[in-house]
Amino acid sequence: MAVIDQPNQTKPHALIGLLSRSNFISIVSIALGLLVWEVCARLFIDPFFLPPVSVIFLGAVELFQQDLLLTHIGVSLMRILGGWLLGSLVAIPLGLLVGSFLTAKRVIDPYIHFLRFIPAIALVTLFIVWFGVGELSKILLVMYATAFIVMVNTATGVGTVHQNKRLAARTFGASTWQIFWRVTVPSAMPSIYVGMRLALASSFLVIVAVEMLAAESGLGYLIWTSKLYFKIDWMFVGIFLLGFLGLLTDYAWKMFGKHVIGRFVRTAANY
Amino acid sequence: MTISIESVGFAYTTSGRTSPMILSDVDLTIPEGEFLVLLGPSGCGKSTLLRLIAGFDNPTNGQLSIDGRTVEKPGKDRGMVFQDLDSALFEWLTVSENVEFGLKIDGVPKEDRIRRRDEALSMVNLLNHGQKFPDELSGGMKQRVQIARMLAMRPGIMLMDEPFASLDAQTRQRLQNQMISIWTEIGGTAVYVTHDIREAINLGQRIILMSAGPAAGIKRSYDVELEYPRNQSDPRYITLLEQISKDIEEEVSKVWQ
Repeated sequence: MAVIDQPNQTKPHALIGLLSRSNFISIVSIALGLLVWEVCARLFIDPFFLPPVSVIFLGAVELFQQDLLLTHIGVSLMRILGGWLLGSLVAIPLGLLVGSFLTAKRVIDPYIHFLRFIPAIALVTLFIVWFGVGELSKILLVMYATAFIVMVNTATGVGTVHQNKRLAARTFGASTWQIFWRVTVPSAMPSIYVGMRLALASSFLVIVAVEMLAAESGLGYLIWTSKLYFKIDWMFVGIFLLGFLGLLTDYAWKMFGKHVIGRFVRTAANY
Repeated sequence: MTISIESVGFAYTTSGRTSPMILSDVDLTIPEGEFLVLLGPSGCGKSTLLRLIAGFDNPTNGQLSIDGRTVEKPGKDRGMVFQDLDSALFEWLTVSENVEFGLKIDGVPKEDRIRRRDEALSMVNLLNHGQKFPDELSGGMKQRVQIARMLAMRPGIMLMDEPFASLDAQTRQRLQNQMISIWTEIGGTAVYVTHDIREAINLGQRIILMSAGPAAGIKRSYDVELEYPRNQSDPRYITLLEQISKDIEEEVSKVWQ
């Protein structure tokens, strides 16, 4: 393919980038890994412990035919992305506030540093008692898990804005408010961006735990109930999908960083 | 614009505690249109004095005023070029946008803004690099962006805090020449901080040598009556260089004892 032969060309589009040489090597690596798994699972390992890839794939097809696959994926993704975005929406302004004003920091900090060490998983039952068994409690738990990570990162970002930038803006006659919007917020963007990326991963951890304990749908529920039916292949479908969806959403966030808000995150979206 | 500094002293005050005096009893008048160099060993408070003129800090005692008005805070009449290559530029803005930053804050209409931006960029030979981001520039180019950003605001006073200290010798020499031709063209008062004696003689009409801290002050003042660009093999250049070297050595040895 022509595209593969031009590794040093700048990528005009993310989709074309998928076919570049470095990605080609990754794809070969994945294919080999799956092949080794398939062979090992067929020859050396009891399929009850580790089913071959092909069996897992057939399990996925079976789930798809029962209209369960897309439902579980959709429900989990909605909870993860909804909670993550709403959590960030609360956390970013709070982080900017705590990072900018010493009084705000003194008022809010003790709560933050106490609460952020209480894992969301410890609060599942409590949240269900408070907010019911519906979607609300689940989204709030993801928000809870997200918000502290994003907030601490945002406040750290504000704290590390170099004094020279603010001083330079002052020599141009900028007001405190102008300095906040035009210097502090853009300077903190890389930290906010990285914080949201870390929070995305922890959203996955939380939602699976919640769905295992108290849900009728979602990938966590799929993994949990599969053991009841001894459907070890379905369990692997759920596990696989978590990794795959995580990778995909993380990649989407990375592309958002590179192509949409690229000027603000310059190097933070490189890895 | 004339800067007058009368028996100015400075000590940092943090949460009620006062540090030992960094500057003490500094008397200096910088007349309109002068290129003045503040020279001294590191830690002598020359940058501190510059920050006082910029209005980033206020004198602990004494009086610092510009055209008769006491300096309390930074203002558009005083531009600043910082020593550090990266920390003062806005890395999310292109070179052009960095230069426009102050003009936007100042509410300069778009057409005017673009004209003044391009004017400033061409003075530092960066007109063809306007679309680049700071992390795509060399050290010398970054400092030129800082200079252009200051020039676009047309400040009456240009303050420069060792702007070329971290650049290689060739780049530094070029930029010194460029600085002088810009200043000759636009005029205005310039206060330039350096620890490099040759740089001081290349640039200054007057050089103020500061004594070693703490409680630093002015040790001596030299008038440089040589035409620009300064010829480094001129006997008068060499005599002055030797004189200043001797005086500065005296200050450095105080610190080492």
